[in-house]
Order: sequence, then structure tokens, then C-alpha cells
Amino acid sequence: MFAYAVRRVLATIPVMAIVALFVFSLLYIAPGDPAAVIAGDQATPQDVERIRASLGLDRPFLVRFGEWVWNILNGDMGVSIFTNLPVTTMIQQRIEPTVSLMVLTLCLAVSIAVPMGVIAAWKQGSWIDRAVMGFAVLGFSVPVFVVGYVLAYIFALELDWLPVQGYTKFEEGFFPWLENLILPSIALGGVYIALIARITRATMLEVLQQDYIRTARAKGAGQRNILFLHALKNAAVPIVTVIGIGIALLIGGAVVTESVFAIPGLGRLTVDAILRRDYPVIQGVVLLFSFVYVLVNLVIDLAYTLFDPRIRY
Amino acid sequence: MHRRTLLQGMGLALAAPRLALAQGHARTLRFVPQGNLANIDPVWTTTTLARNHGLMVYDTLFGMGRDFQSKPQMAAGHEVSADGLVHAVTLRADLRFHDGQPVLARDCIASIARWSKRDVLGQRLALLLEEMRVKADDRFELVLKKPWPGLTWALGKPSANICAIMPERIAQTDPFTQITEYVGSGPFRFRASQWVPGSMAAYERFPGYVPRDEPADFLAGGKVVHFDRVEWHVMPDPATAAAALQNNEVDWWETPLADLLPVLRGNRDIAIEVVNTAGALAMIRFNHLHPPFDRAEVRRALLPAIEQTAFMQAALGEDRALWQVPAGAFTPGTPLASNVGMEAVSGPRDLEAAKRALAAAGYKGEPVVILSPTDFPTISALSEVAADTLRRAGMKVDLQSMDWGTLVQRRAKREAPAQGGWNIFCTTWEGLDVSVPGSHQPIRGNGAQGWIGWSTSPRREALREAWFDAPDQGAERKIAQELQALAWEEAPFIPLGLLRPPQAFRRSLTNIVTGGPPIFWNVRRG
Repeated sequence: MFAYAVRRVLATIPVMAIVALFVFSLLYIAPGDPAAVIAGDQATPQDVERIRASLGLDRPFLVRFGEWVWNILNGDMGVSIFTNLPVTTMIQQRIEPTVSLMVLTLCLAVSIAVPMGVIAAWKQGSWIDRAVMGFAVLGFSVPVFVVGYVLAYIFALELDWLPVQGYTKFEEGFFPWLENLILPSIALGGVYIALIARITRATMLEVLQQDYIRTARAKGAGQRNILFLHALKNAAVPIVTVIGIGIALLIGGAVVTESVFAIPGLGRLTVDAILRRDYPVIQGVVLLFSFVYVLVNLVIDLAYTLFDPRIRY
Repeated sequence: MHRRTLLQGMGLALAAPRLALAQGHARTLRFVPQGNLANIDPVWTTTTLARNHGLMVYDTLFGMGRDFQSKPQMAAGHEVSADGLVHAVTLRADLRFHDGQPVLARDCIASIARWSKRDVLGQRLALLLEEMRVKADDRFELVLKKPWPGLTWALGKPSANICAIMPERIAQTDPFTQITEYVGSGPFRFRASQWVPGSMAAYERFPGYVPRDEPADFLAGGKVVHFDRVEWHVMPDPATAAAALQNNEVDWWETPLADLLPVLRGNRDIAIEVVNTAGALAMIRFNHLHPPFDRAEVRRALLPAIEQTAFMQAALGEDRALWQVPAGAFTPGTPLASNVGMEAVSGPRDLEAAKRALAAAGYKGEPVVILSPTDFPTISALSEVAADTLRRAGMKVDLQSMDWGTLVQRRAKREAPAQGGWNIFCTTWEGLDVSVPGSHQPIRGNGAQGWIGWSTSPRREALREAWFDAPDQGAERKIAQELQALAWEEAPFIPLGLLRPPQAFRRSLTNIVTGGPPIFWNVRRG
């Protein structure tokens, strides 16, 4: 398995290279000129040209791409055109809120969605099953920002239990940290819970029809043991796969959630950078997201062996 | 442990940090700015946010008072030689930079030199400047080639780029490169280590700042700070900002969305007031390089169709306190504004007259490309009304929506509209910028060297030049009136009204300085 893991890690290199080329090319051909934005309305065309030159935006594509790749290989993601701060510093400033939001959402979603899906499968056709499926449809249908506004209205404005917006660092205390993340996690988790609950239910329904489940029942195993030890473990592979794929869903959702709850995370950094055409920041963040996604898929692949001993790499 | 006790304990644990924060916030002013403070060099960039940041961190030699006149700020005194060529400035004795060093004449000269390469009035100074010379640590002279009565006005103007005074070592940075050290001598010290672009910027009261012993007078007078700390919290979502203000998580929101004003007005703890009384002049800008708006007759033909009230209502709603019409070429309410030729936009509107004038001007049904930024709701609303007005006047309109970043690049293109160029975009200019000919870019006629739209008019340029030489305000007014008359005749742009977007703040804040951008001295809690 170790050799497989190493091979997979090495395989990320060409993937990242393609992503890098794609991102760089896309930004090169996309409309927008940061020099014009910086220069403002009073600037003459000569001023804009001077700013463009000082930012190195007047150089040929290949020169800029080569330099960027070389710097990345040396651990330097460049400097933001607008803030003059290193991209790595900006990512460091923003990574904790996003990771916190995603981890909490993930924990919340898995701990709610998996039991929901299991129970729905167990009580197939009952009102519980219909309620779970109804919730899943709702989770898929209602946009994250609508859920966010409703939650903020009820729990912050009306009840005054939680803050509307903002983020408190973990080092400043667990409860202040949690307080700021409860509503965003619930808002972001809705669609994720729906997805996992549906897949869990569908997989569990299939597994519960298997002979070994009937055998377990015949041997007198309790319902809880049958559901969570015998059935769920065998249904875990597709569930874990969906959880992994859902990370992309979380990254996309985090952009909206961070805006609605004014959380200074990577999602907002990305949107701000795109709107201003801050190329080094866009490139750095997209590259980071791609890397995370590739890494998550690797972890998911390796996790399969925990649930299904037949899988060997 | 009983379940109820556990729940109570958890509730207290969650509430405790909020209670502690509430106590700490008494000496902190929490402000939601109009956007993201992405760059913080007020000379390098012209963004309003960088200017507002600059006004906190950097002091200026002169400051504009509520009467729009320039008054000494860092300067203790200012003398002009009899021939008007030598301006001698003496600095106040108690000026210190945030690093503890005294502000010296050489710092001022280096700062003026950097500013003069980027700002439009600074460039004027560069043209007229013979030399700048240090006479003593606290005294320097600006020697001009010809008199410029408006020099101190330019040095103290609040519109971007402000002439921010920095230590010489920082001011020697190339004006086209951002500074990397943020040391000013203003009433607030910028906490660069706490700056998270797109989220938060923090300022602390500078204990070494000695305000003038005068009452606050917009950017002049005593800058007395009553908060230990000011925090800018960037909130891209207006609904979130509104909720945060209602929930007492922030104190002051600079740009409440017009649609949310009724909700905020319903909260008795929140005041809605116009702080920036100079507002912003809304306008239609034409591309003068391509048909049909390369001819003044076509641009002028639209005037009878323009209903300024409709534009203002689309931008800010029905409340007339938030906008002003009619508006001419200069910001209404400022000394150079006049009613000359105002019937062009204030008389009875006549679409048929506009159609006839367009036909007479030779409009042949060419498509008119209007650029509209979707991420600026006010300008987007102006663009929609402009498109509708032109359509009703018989023009063939192609309204193209895009984000501001794309629009900024697109409008810089000089190609024909069919080749990716454009014909019209709507915009707003800060009222203080367009209150005088010197910094009024849209009225200029310097063609290819000028502002986007590239209007050419030697007559307007000559009048602008004359304004620089005007000996007094009477002469300035006369020139401004002539310029306005010419603006109706040549129509380099069409004014659409003065927007005065309100600001929302907790009623616990008092003594907010009005007049222009948000200012954080004088304001206090309770």
C-alpha cells in the first residue's frame, strides 16, 4: 500500500502541472486588466502602461508562465498585485477559517447524515423514510445563502443566541470559535447532509437485501448490530466515496457561505481576487484547491482498505 | 450533572465571549467600509478606500474646511511672495511620525514630489514647479514658474490622490510602485500586522498626534480622536452588514443598500443620515472616437430625453433627500455650481424633440453599445435607465452587462464598438472631484491624453487653464459658468443628478464629521 501511496503522490505532479497551465492560460485570455483598475480614472494611458510594466504584465506569456512555475517550485507563489503581500501570507491568513468551516461541516454532516440514511433504509416506506427523503430534497433545492439568511435571522437577530457574522480564531478560545461557525456550518452542511443521507439510504437498502444480513438476523443479532456493524460497514465504500467527492461541493459552498457570514476564508479571497484580476492570488488559490482535492481523493482511496479488506493496492 | 445545569453552563460558556467583547467594544469603533481595502498606498492608487485609509494614517499640509476652502493643517503658516511665485510653508512644532521621528521639511518635499507624479493637480504642480527647497527643518519653499493661487487647495484636497506626507525614505519610493512601510503622522496608526485584505483593517489612536487647537472642520481643524481603536470590517454581502448593524456587531455602515433602508429605519437604535454631503455626480460618458457620438450634435440631441429624476429614483429610490436634481457640470451645492443652461436637463422633457434632433444630426440607426457593471448596483441601475431612454429616443441599443473588472478594461479600448469597443458607460464621480475644473476629468478636452471617452475641445482646455490662474473665487465662478455652458453645447458627458447615498450607524455614535468621506476623529460614543 505504501508503494501505491507513493505512486499516487507522484501522479499528482502531472495533474498539478496541467492544472497550473490551465489556470494560467485561462487568466491570460480572460478579459480584465488589473493595471487599469489600479490606475483609476485619472490615469493617462502612459500611467496604465507604466503600472503594467512595473507589475510585469507586459511580458510574453511563456516568460511569465516559466517564471511563475519556477517560483512555485521554489515555494514562492508570488506577490499579490493589489495588496503587495506574498500570496502565501494571504493564504495563511485565510486558511484557518476555511479549514475550520469545512471540518466542522464535515463532522456535522457525517454525524447527522449517516444515521439518517441508515434509519431511512431500515424504516423504508415509513413516515421516517419519507421525512428523511423530504429533507434531502429540501437540502438539495434550497440555496446555501437562503438557508444562511434564515438561520441568521432566527438565531442571531430574533433570538440573539449567536453572532450574525465574523470569525474568531481557535487560539482565542474554543467557544468563541464555535459560536461563529455554528450557523455557517449548518447552512453549508444542508446540501452535504442531503447528499450523504441519500447515498447511505440507497446503499443500505441494497446491503440489507444481502444473504449475510438474513443470516445475522437468523443468528439472533440485534437490530442495532445488524444495521451499524454488519450492514453499514459493507455499505461504507460508496458512502466514503461520496464524502470525498463532496469536498468539492464544500469548497464551492464555502465561497457563498463565507460571503454570507463574512468569514475571512479562502473562498472570499478567491472571489475578491477574481473580481480584481489579482492573477497571482487566483493562481495560488486554485492550485491549492486542486492539490487539496487530489489529496482528498488519495486519502479516500486508501480508506477503502479499512472498510473492505478485499481491496488491496 | 443535571441536564438543565449542563445546558445552562453551555449557554453561559457561549455567551461569555460575547459579553467580554461587548465590554471591549466601548473604545473600539467598528466600521463597515464600502468595499475591500485591497491596497493602502494613497498615492499609488486612486481608489476611494485607499484615500479614506490615507486620511486616517497620513496628515496633509493643508485641509479642506466645510466651506470648501483650504486651511493650514500640518502647516503652522503659509506665506506667498508678492509676485505669487514663492510659497513658504512652516510646519507645526509638534508633528511626529508614527515611528517617533519628527516631521521635517525634507519629508514634505519628498512626499510632494511623489504625489506630483501621480495626481492630476500634482502633475499641474510639477509643470509649474521651478524648485522645492528646504529652508530649515520646519520650513520649506515651493518656487513656481508662474503664480498658482490654487496651490494650497491642491495640497489639501480630499479627493484621490491626496498629498499624504510620509517620511522621506518611504516617499522616495517610485510613484508607480507600492510602498511597503506604512508610517504616517496622522491621528491613527495602521496596524499592518493585523491587516487581512478582504476582511479587516485595524487602526489605533496615535498617542503622539497633537491636534490643532480648533474645532473639527471637515479635513481642517482639530482632529481629536475619541476611540482607542477603529476596525474596518469588510462585508461583501449587504444583508449581512445590515444584520450585523442591527445586532450591534458593528457601529457604522458606509454604504447601506437602498433596498435595505426601510428595514434599518425600522430599528430605533439605528440612524440613517447623509454623511458625504458632497455626494457623487452621476453621468453618462460618451466615446468620442466613434459614431454616432463622435459628433456633438448627436450627443446634444439626447438632452431633451434625459429625465434626471428617473435616473436618481432608479439608483437610490424615491427619497428626494438622497439625491438632487437638476445637476449641471459641477457638483450642486459647491461654490462653482451654477444654473447656467440648466434648462437643458430641467425643462419639460420631450422625446419627440430628441428624436427629431437625432434625425437632424444624421443618426442612421447604428447600434449603441452601453457597458453596465453588474457588481455596482447603482451604476447598473443608471445604465438600465440610460438604455431605456436611448431606446425611447429611437436609438438601437446593445446593453452589455459585465463585472467592473471587465468593464474597466473594455472601456479603455479605443477600437470601434463592433471590434470590442463601446459607445457609452454610466459612472459616478466623487462630488469633491468634480466641484472644480482642475480635478474635473469628464469636462476636460485633452483628447487622446485625457480620461476614457477621449473628448477633444481646445475651448474647454483653455477655460480650465484660465481657472488655474483665476485670482479669486469670483473669477473662478465666471470660468465655471462658461465651462458649463460649453458642456451643454459640446456634451462631453451628460450629468444625471447628484447622488447622496446615506450612511447607517448606531445612534450611540455622535458628532460624526459630515462633508465628504467617512472621518474617524471627532466622532464619539454616547
